[in-house]
Amino acid sequence: MQQEALADIEDFGGPDPLTELPRAALAGKDVPYARYRLGAAYDEMFAPDGKPRGSYAALDRRLTSLPLDELARRQHACEQSFLHQGITFTVYNDSQATERIIPTDLLPRIVTAKEWDHVERGLIQRIHALNLFLGDIYGDAKVLKDGIVPREMIFGSKHYRREMRGIPVPHGAYVNVCGSDLVRNETGEFLVLEDNLRVPSGVSYMLANRDVVRRAFPGIFRSMNVRAIEQYPLELLATLRALAPFDQDVSIAVLTPGVFNSAYFEHAFLARQMGVELVEGRDLLVNDNVVYTRTTSGLKRIDVIYRRIDDDFIDPLIFRENSSLGVPGLFNAYRAGNVVIANALGTGVADDKAIYAYVPRLIRYYLSEEPLLGSVETFLCREEKSLAHVMANLDKLVVKAVGESGGYGMLVGPHASPAERAAFGEKIKADPDNYIAQPTIALSTAPTFVGDGVEARHVDLRPFILAGAETKLVPGALTRVALKQGSLVVNSSQGGGSKDTWVLSA
Amino acid sequence: MLSRVADSLYWMSRYIERAEHTARVLAVKLESMAEQTPDDGRASWARVVQALGHMSWDEVPDDAFAITKRLAFDRANVSSLIASLTLARDNARQVREALSNEVWGNLNRLYLYLSAVQGDSIRAHAPASLFRRALDEMQALEGVIYSTLSHNEGWYFLELGKYIERAQLLGRLLDVYFRKDGVQPKYFDWLVLLKFCTAFEPYTKLYTASVRPQKLAQFLLFDADFPHSICFSIDRMSEALAHVAPAAPPGRRAAVERLAGRLKAGVDFGQIDELLSGGIDVFLNDITRQCEKIHEAVFASYITYGAETVL
Repeated sequence: MQQEALADIEDFGGPDPLTELPRAALAGKDVPYARYRLGAAYDEMFAPDGKPRGSYAALDRRLTSLPLDELARRQHACEQSFLHQGITFTVYNDSQATERIIPTDLLPRIVTAKEWDHVERGLIQRIHALNLFLGDIYGDAKVLKDGIVPREMIFGSKHYRREMRGIPVPHGAYVNVCGSDLVRNETGEFLVLEDNLRVPSGVSYMLANRDVVRRAFPGIFRSMNVRAIEQYPLELLATLRALAPFDQDVSIAVLTPGVFNSAYFEHAFLARQMGVELVEGRDLLVNDNVVYTRTTSGLKRIDVIYRRIDDDFIDPLIFRENSSLGVPGLFNAYRAGNVVIANALGTGVADDKAIYAYVPRLIRYYLSEEPLLGSVETFLCREEKSLAHVMANLDKLVVKAVGESGGYGMLVGPHASPAERAAFGEKIKADPDNYIAQPTIALSTAPTFVGDGVEARHVDLRPFILAGAETKLVPGALTRVALKQGSLVVNSSQGGGSKDTWVLSA
Repeated sequence: MLSRVADSLYWMSRYIERAEHTARVLAVKLESMAEQTPDDGRASWARVVQALGHMSWDEVPDDAFAITKRLAFDRANVSSLIASLTLARDNARQVREALSNEVWGNLNRLYLYLSAVQGDSIRAHAPASLFRRALDEMQALEGVIYSTLSHNEGWYFLELGKYIERAQLLGRLLDVYFRKDGVQPKYFDWLVLLKFCTAFEPYTKLYTASVRPQKLAQFLLFDADFPHSICFSIDRMSEALAHVAPAAPPGRRAAVERLAGRLKAGVDFGQIDELLSGGIDVFLNDITRQCEKIHEAVFASYITYGAETVL
């Protein structure tokens, strides 16, 4: 019981993956890949001829040299490690609350230096444009006057915060922490699928996955020059600190909805790693437009709040009045410039699934550059021609409700029954403005351990971008994986898991 | 530190102490069963039930396994071992950022280990060795709390919770044994009482193996060096109180320090012969009541104070 479950995994004495003779294990033929199906989707590990790509060669040699039950043992050890660290979410049923881990796959997803360089530059460009856009719509609204984006899409959005108009934000950065979802299409090109600009989560899983998977494959991890990501909390701290109007003794807090929130582990993890206070709404109070925490010795002033609570709940005086998670008076303190809130309020208007279709135009408008990263073709049901196209092609499209996230309120056309499609079609017709549609992208597949072999499963990629005085990414990401064979839904609430992501340095 | 964090650390520590006490008493009791006649055994179980649970002997079935199940694994019994551990872990979870990986990991493993025991299967588990194993883990937990956390204000809130709880648990246990009514303890019962408090060997070093109730009371109440004595617990409690809320205004500190000083003086100058003639139960009840008052004063001064009182 005392032993850390992973401590007895040893790779040190194993064959050096780089000097061992290459073996010809083919996808779909040889152990452990006998059931590995290469389809229309781009595969991260195997070229179309079934041979592993260069970046996966070391992993391939390790996988073919280990017996399957040893892989199963390592997979189990990873899961135990998560359970013991309390990296769990709680499922409530009739009598007892049970705790589950979010499944982590043993096998890392590998991103080459060249691929990463492209993704990094593309995301930095994108966040710049989105922050300029937010500054514009909460300022002079030139983008509306110039007719780039329809007025009603902004003012009609439930995430638009009228209260934010004219409030300056530090460095013009409304979004300080962003987690963008990327996918790869059939040719392997990275496309942005979604910008998460409100309170994106998952970064603790990126770090926790690295912690266990590195120990499951220490030999190849060392030999492959994987770039470090452990500095993320430090980078986040620097970003938050630089948001304060002064340099010395900046008092920072992470604001969490509390222990029952499914991302509570992450909130506590980040606070601990940064060495700042983790606070709940009930720990804060506002007096004379200044925010304080209640401490054993008295009240202590707070300068920067990294909030992990949605806009709606942050201040019951201004937003949702029945919220008990927030802090009465917080918004006025914010407006008075006495506290910085990151991310700023009202950023959700720019990650709306309908605004998504306009982002390439926004990049050209604000930066006079071509977008480096592609997007997925998007049909706005609000436009009559698109609506007709969507209704006629429901069996080929993915339809999403504009304001939803987490895989809710969506129809995956090719996988739905005719009855489901008909029912969803009615919903679209009733409220076309609320829906967009995109062609189904056969997300790329990556090798995933399934208990008695390695099979292909669809994955996406969520890197985390920090923006403030500087804009930067740590070279890593959360790879989410649809564990059900053939499934394209990677959300953890819908049966998804995650993978460690190894960005190579050369 | 945040008042809410202090609150959770304090309770986490109290519940860990309570869980450890329960585990040790049950382990010792189960191990000593073979050496008692059925009648003596029954009287001895009755004392354990009174000391550990908020229930009367009539509510408890006359069967060691059933009692163990009730005291250790019944989640509906708020003072059971598993209920205490659950509360300790819930509090730890709420202040996860204030704890080290080692402390959280140890407590979490302990919880997972014991919560895997289903009440009906304890016969198969050899419960005494199960509690011994849990105690090993608890001592490891105590070790990482000591060695991996900074000994700052938060740590002193842990100390405060631990020793207030310990003083009260010892008080209740001694009270049960020194009660004038009911079946009086025999020689073997006094030995077991010492073992409940991990005190058998330290006691014999001081007083030899001749166990007498008066000496035993002297030792468990007033020995300044032994960690499971009431005197030692109150010393540590006072020391912890001197270190928490260092920057609180003097007025609010005074309310707490006055109560702690009075309690310490009462124990420091207590005389065992006076007590045994004048009623030890009165003395023990008084200590328990004073501990409760200190608890209330700490909360009023440092944790639940109204914002209007400081602005």
